Amino acid sequence: MSPFLFWIFAGLMLVFGAGVVLNRNPVASALSLVVSFLGLAALFMSLDAYFIGIIQVLVYAGAVMVLFLFIIMLLDLRAEKLRKINWLASAGGIAVAVALSVQILYVIGNFRFSQQPFPPLARSTVDDVHHVGSLLFENYNLPFQIIGVLVLVATIGVVVLSKRELR
Amino acid sequence: MIAPPNLEIAVLILGMLLLMFEAFMDKIDKRVFAFAGILGLTTVLIGTFYLAPVPQIDHASGFWSFYTADPLAIFFKRFALLTTILVLVMMIDYAPTVRGSVAGVTVQAGLGEFFALPILTCAGLMYIASAIDFVMIFVSIELVTISFYVLVSFTRRNPLTLEAGVKYLVLSALSTAFLVYGITWIFGVTGETNLDRITAALANSNIDQTAMLFGAVLVLVALGFKIAAVPFQIWVPDVYQGAPTPVTAFLSVGSKAAGFVVLLRVLRPFLMLPKMDRLLVVVALLTLLYGNLAALPQGNLKRLLAYSSIAHAGYLLIGVACFDGPAVTFYLVAYLLMTLLSFAVLIVVAQQAGERITDFDGLAKRSPFLAFAMLIGMISLAGVPFTIGFFGKFFIFYSALAHHQTVLVVVGAITVACGFYYYLKVVRAMYWRPAVKNDAIPVSGLSRVVMSALIVAIIWFGVYPEPILRALQPPSGQVAMKSAADH
Repeated sequence: MSPFLFWIFAGLMLVFGAGVVLNRNPVASALSLVVSFLGLAALFMSLDAYFIGIIQVLVYAGAVMVLFLFIIMLLDLRAEKLRKINWLASAGGIAVAVALSVQILYVIGNFRFSQQPFPPLARSTVDDVHHVGSLLFENYNLPFQIIGVLVLVATIGVVVLSKRELR
Repeated sequence: MIAPPNLEIAVLILGMLLLMFEAFMDKIDKRVFAFAGILGLTTVLIGTFYLAPVPQIDHASGFWSFYTADPLAIFFKRFALLTTILVLVMMIDYAPTVRGSVAGVTVQAGLGEFFALPILTCAGLMYIASAIDFVMIFVSIELVTISFYVLVSFTRRNPLTLEAGVKYLVLSALSTAFLVYGITWIFGVTGETNLDRITAALANSNIDQTAMLFGAVLVLVALGFKIAAVPFQIWVPDVYQGAPTPVTAFLSVGSKAAGFVVLLRVLRPFLMLPKMDRLLVVVALLTLLYGNLAALPQGNLKRLLAYSSIAHAGYLLIGVACFDGPAVTFYLVAYLLMTLLSFAVLIVVAQQAGERITDFDGLAKRSPFLAFAMLIGMISLAGVPFTIGFFGKFFIFYSALAHHQTVLVVVGAITVACGFYYYLKVVRAMYWRPAVKNDAIPVSGLSRVVMSALIVAIIWFGVYPEPILRALQPPSGQVAMKSAADH
């Protein structure tokens, strides 16, 4: 894809990602997150990962965000009050973030693959969904099954921690 | 003969069966489920001694590229099972406290889940022991972490527990992010997630060393969080203090051991990278100093044990920095026995008196058995000869001397002296302080048997460590690590 589109979508993601944190109204934060997810989906699409791109829109921008908005509505969250900023702590946080960014930039700058374009992917004969499915159920079957247990544990956890009165 | 993967499946089925029965049988005493869990896990533990040999098939793809059943894996599966059994015993003692701090309509509300979740966690720990692929490592670590999120904040009526739960959730999620980011870098450089194939790819000189080192360090950050190494230890004191005590014990033994297994496996390919060993030495030094110095002024025994857990991570990291797998494993076994013994006594005493050290005043007169059990736990943690804790430290320091890590040995010896001070503070409270109350503290029969077994094990292996050393033969870890270190 053209680098021009990449910068547009990446910039969009960063701006709205910052919007999630900076907005004081929870609904505005949630909607910024939707835009950020859409930008990510566009990036996936541009990398020829259509299936992941569409899942990103359906699951994250669609289902998860609707759930977020529902919760915000049900809990009737108000705009957050402006808190006093602990300057020392934020300075420390910024210093750590800057240090990490510098390191990442240094590593990427020296990364051999970043100096040349990646070769284009071979055109596959089967579609994306088929491909992902066969990988999940054949090669990655064991981790996939463990994720099943993980979801079970998470479900039990949600019930235990959120139910008003346990039996 | 049992195929190794069936062990985890058995544990998972046991956990799900308990949940199922718990849902339909609400009339019976819920402690039955804990006993059933202990019985089931003991059966699986016995089963680990009758394993069928691993089939020699192509390890390049499919199941066996994620899962290994080498001696290290089998050993840590037993370790996880034993830990979970002991934690379940503690949970039975702790049940009355859960009653008071869970929102429930019935007397034993929530206890079924409280007893069933550790069993599922145990399956996760067993998968971690066998994981040889980053995808598998990530998924099984997440299984363990997510069940710990629930367990840590289980008694949610208690504000301290709630605080612990939130802190653990946020910081643990952060460490997970580091793990995934590190794995993506490693995958980006080598194109592989399987540890063996990463090792093979690293032997290729065409690899980008800087990027690889960056990925490896990010993975180390995440593992440092799991094992509570400085500077990733911030969560430990508050979470350990706030969590329900059996969960604290589980966290400090099970989760930490899992972190060290992954560390031993992951470091093998990365030892070829430059500066990796020096990084480990620095982290080990910081962890030793911080854990031991911060433990000195503590007045709350649970918090003291939290700092002591950081300190022990430091000793274990000395072993890791010297790439001595067997010494680390032996130390972990010692750590399991003595830490779980101390927590078991703490749970019983905390129900009647409290968890501050002053609550242990005159315990020797009130309940000589509990005081003796705590005495053994404390002197073993301190590393007094004729306890297993001494041999643990001995092997670690021996291996550090053999690798000419003099700084580590000197700092280690100084911090051991610090350890004597704060561990013996508890002993002094129990034996030399007058008791406030004189009534004996009741101990259930099962706990008494388990505590006695732990005391005997600590002293027995402290005099005769041969059985554990032999269980570690053939020294899979050492041979592999030595050969990697020689490259």
